Amino acid sequence: MIWLICCGMLAVASLFYVFYLPGKLFLGPEKTRAGYLRERKDAVYENLRDLNFEYKAGKVPDVDYRSLKSSLQDEAATILGEIARLEAKAAAAPRRAQE
Amino acid sequence: MAEIGSFALLLALALSVYSFLAGIIALAFQNQVSQNQVSQNQVSQKVARQAVQPGSHPARRAGFAASSHENSLAALLRQGSERIGETARRAGIATFAAVVLAAVILVVCAFRDDFSIAYILHHSNRDLPGPYKFAVLWSGQEGSLLFWSLLLAAYGFVLRLRYKTDPRLFAYASVVLAGVQIFFLSLLNFAAHPFAIVQGTIPADGNGLNPLLQYPEMVIHPPMLYLGYVGFTVPFAFALGALIMKYPGEKWIHITRRWTMVTWAFLTCGVFLGAHWAYSVLGWGGYWGWDPVENASLMPWLTGTAFLHSVMMQEKRGMLKMWNMWLVFATFWLAILGTFLTRSGIISSVHAFAQSSIGDWFAWFLGITLAVFVFFFFKNKSHLVSEHKLESLVSRESSFLFNNLLFVLLCFTVLWGTWFPKISELVQGNKVTVGAPFYNRVAIPVALLLLILTAIGPLLAWRKTSIESLKRNFLWPVIGAIAIAVVLMITPQSWGSAFGLKPWRDISYFYSLMAIALAVLVTLTVASEFYRGGRVISKHTGQGMFASMVQLTHRNTRRYGGYIVHFGVVVVIIGFAGAAFNQDKEQEMGYGDKMTIGSYTLVCRSYTQDDNPNYGSEWAVVDVYKGGKKIDTMTPVREFYKASRQASTKPDIRSTFKEDLYLVYEGQNEKGQPVIKAHLNALVTWIWMGVWIILGGTVLALVPNAPAPVRIPAPARLERAHAAPVTTGD
Repeated sequence: MIWLICCGMLAVASLFYVFYLPGKLFLGPEKTRAGYLRERKDAVYENLRDLNFEYKAGKVPDVDYRSLKSSLQDEAATILGEIARLEAKAAAAPRRAQE
Repeated sequence: MAEIGSFALLLALALSVYSFLAGIIALAFQNQVSQNQVSQNQVSQKVARQAVQPGSHPARRAGFAASSHENSLAALLRQGSERIGETARRAGIATFAAVVLAAVILVVCAFRDDFSIAYILHHSNRDLPGPYKFAVLWSGQEGSLLFWSLLLAAYGFVLRLRYKTDPRLFAYASVVLAGVQIFFLSLLNFAAHPFAIVQGTIPADGNGLNPLLQYPEMVIHPPMLYLGYVGFTVPFAFALGALIMKYPGEKWIHITRRWTMVTWAFLTCGVFLGAHWAYSVLGWGGYWGWDPVENASLMPWLTGTAFLHSVMMQEKRGMLKMWNMWLVFATFWLAILGTFLTRSGIISSVHAFAQSSIGDWFAWFLGITLAVFVFFFFKNKSHLVSEHKLESLVSRESSFLFNNLLFVLLCFTVLWGTWFPKISELVQGNKVTVGAPFYNRVAIPVALLLLILTAIGPLLAWRKTSIESLKRNFLWPVIGAIAIAVVLMITPQSWGSAFGLKPWRDISYFYSLMAIALAVLVTLTVASEFYRGGRVISKHTGQGMFASMVQLTHRNTRRYGGYIVHFGVVVVIIGFAGAAFNQDKEQEMGYGDKMTIGSYTLVCRSYTQDDNPNYGSEWAVVDVYKGGKKIDTMTPVREFYKASRQASTKPDIRSTFKEDLYLVYEGQNEKGQPVIKAHLNALVTWIWMGVWIILGGTVLALVPNAPAPVRIPAPARLERAHAAPVTTGD
């Protein structure tokens, strides 16, 4: 009999915990293309810093350093360009709606 | 008690099913609402523009009102689905509580000697020492499945508590975890019930625990291994979740990085604890026998290690996205396959697990997970296109690629060898088992190639590396490695195990020489990485070299922790290389009889017997002499466990850096004298030392990075990069 009471209490406690939802839920920000590009930008900056460090450590010769740095900077510039376009578009959308 | 345990398991299953179904419904609704909202936003913007124009038609104004009404309905639906999602998350957390309760009840029953429960009757007895009664939880089929389920629930509990990192991705991962949990809880409830009651008269004492498991390491080896096996479900859940939701970017990898490293560390620990247990308990003188159960733990470790490396390419360069998806799936799948191998009885092993019908359950589960993964992979593979191509064969990327191919090749070899008895039975009608020579033929060259990559990889630049760069980075480490190899070849063998290695005499000598030379190469490249990095920091801060290297490590723990792991692997490989110099000898030893092995002389001082409530034992007392001087006394033992009526040999091991003297009490001859087998195993201690270094490196890699205080001007071409700090990367 005791075990039946224990099981019943266990079930009630579980149901209460699962379905009693006081307060507001945390939903977090929505993942967007701009957010993804910002992550990519951070990764490219990180790669640039690594390259800088390896160059200073004497691991990368001058010629390699210049060519690798240039290609990373191009990649960063492309990402920054797209971020700027998206931000401009996002800023223009509410204005258009108001007009 | 058993009734409450059974109910807790049933409740856990119900909660898991709810967490899974409610999670799917919530995500499906949220997706639908998001899609509707995107299209509705476009429509409502258009309608709003038309409606607010002066003198617009009343129908247009009505349309605007309807559109606003639809928006509020969508918001309501969205809110509802989010609340359902929250209940799914909470059900997952409650599952953990229910499974903990079931596990605690089983352990309490073991301590209370409740032999009315069949599982306790079969795996415990009254005189079993306390720690082993605790280990009863994972000592048999049903208990170990409950333990698996408990660990999965624990991982799920942590995951669901940390959902604020990225609620949507965590919701997907939570649903995948709930799906896996449903499988294990269904097994426990319907196929391998740990609280099954004994029918008829309840015996006064239990059958006892398998003697091979009555060893201190067996209390920690299975939990470590299971933490590793089960833990890989988490990166898999995130990967599958990211694939299903077409997660934009690589942040899911960043989120799972620590999970993967912790899991990998547990699996590494579990694999080597298993090897140490085999070495210390089984008494055959070795630590790895390529047994199917050992292979089962090695396979996910190999793919998991490959994943830990290749994932860096995805983070850094957005490459190998599909490959990584397959690797993380393969690791999860191989962990389950390993369990299927050991539980189904499909392949015979020295490990004594019950053969049962649960093999069918595992086969179905493996099939379903494969089908689900393949479906979503082909459905969403356009999302996994690489952002860059391999620019040069001499680059960090290609070294990771080759590293991955070698790990996968080794994994496939182990998989093939493990399944070969079954395949040969299906094809030829008779079982052909492959032994150590088959595995070694592939594993040793692959391990040597991996060592080469371990040495080369960190010194290569991302994208491409020039000949000039190669010369600059490799000259001194290569000269050092060649010098050591020459020294090892020309010195006399009498100097020690690793000296006098003439590679032309025996292939094993060749492999050992290569392993040691490559180990030196890796050590030197790792040392040069610390030195060069430390020099940069020292120049900028004016600190001493050691302090600079500590700061360097603290500023990029993942990279330099990884180097320490590589150094640990080198130490382990040196230990493996020692196998070429092993010796063994067997002799019947009466009072005062002598045996000589290597530089040791063994003298049998006496032999005797003892008895305690759990087991009876017989052992020999052997004095060990070296250079005519007594240096130790060793006591190899053979124990006979009363409850299980099984015997077990416990070797006595005397370890030094150079070699292990390993004595086994093989039995008695017809005169009642002990038969002693002596092994001289070279460099074995290095293996266990290497594992500690690997674990230390992994723990270091988990420490968060310190901020980089030194700043230098960066090119004006990049905005916000005007003050790029000098930092260190992967």
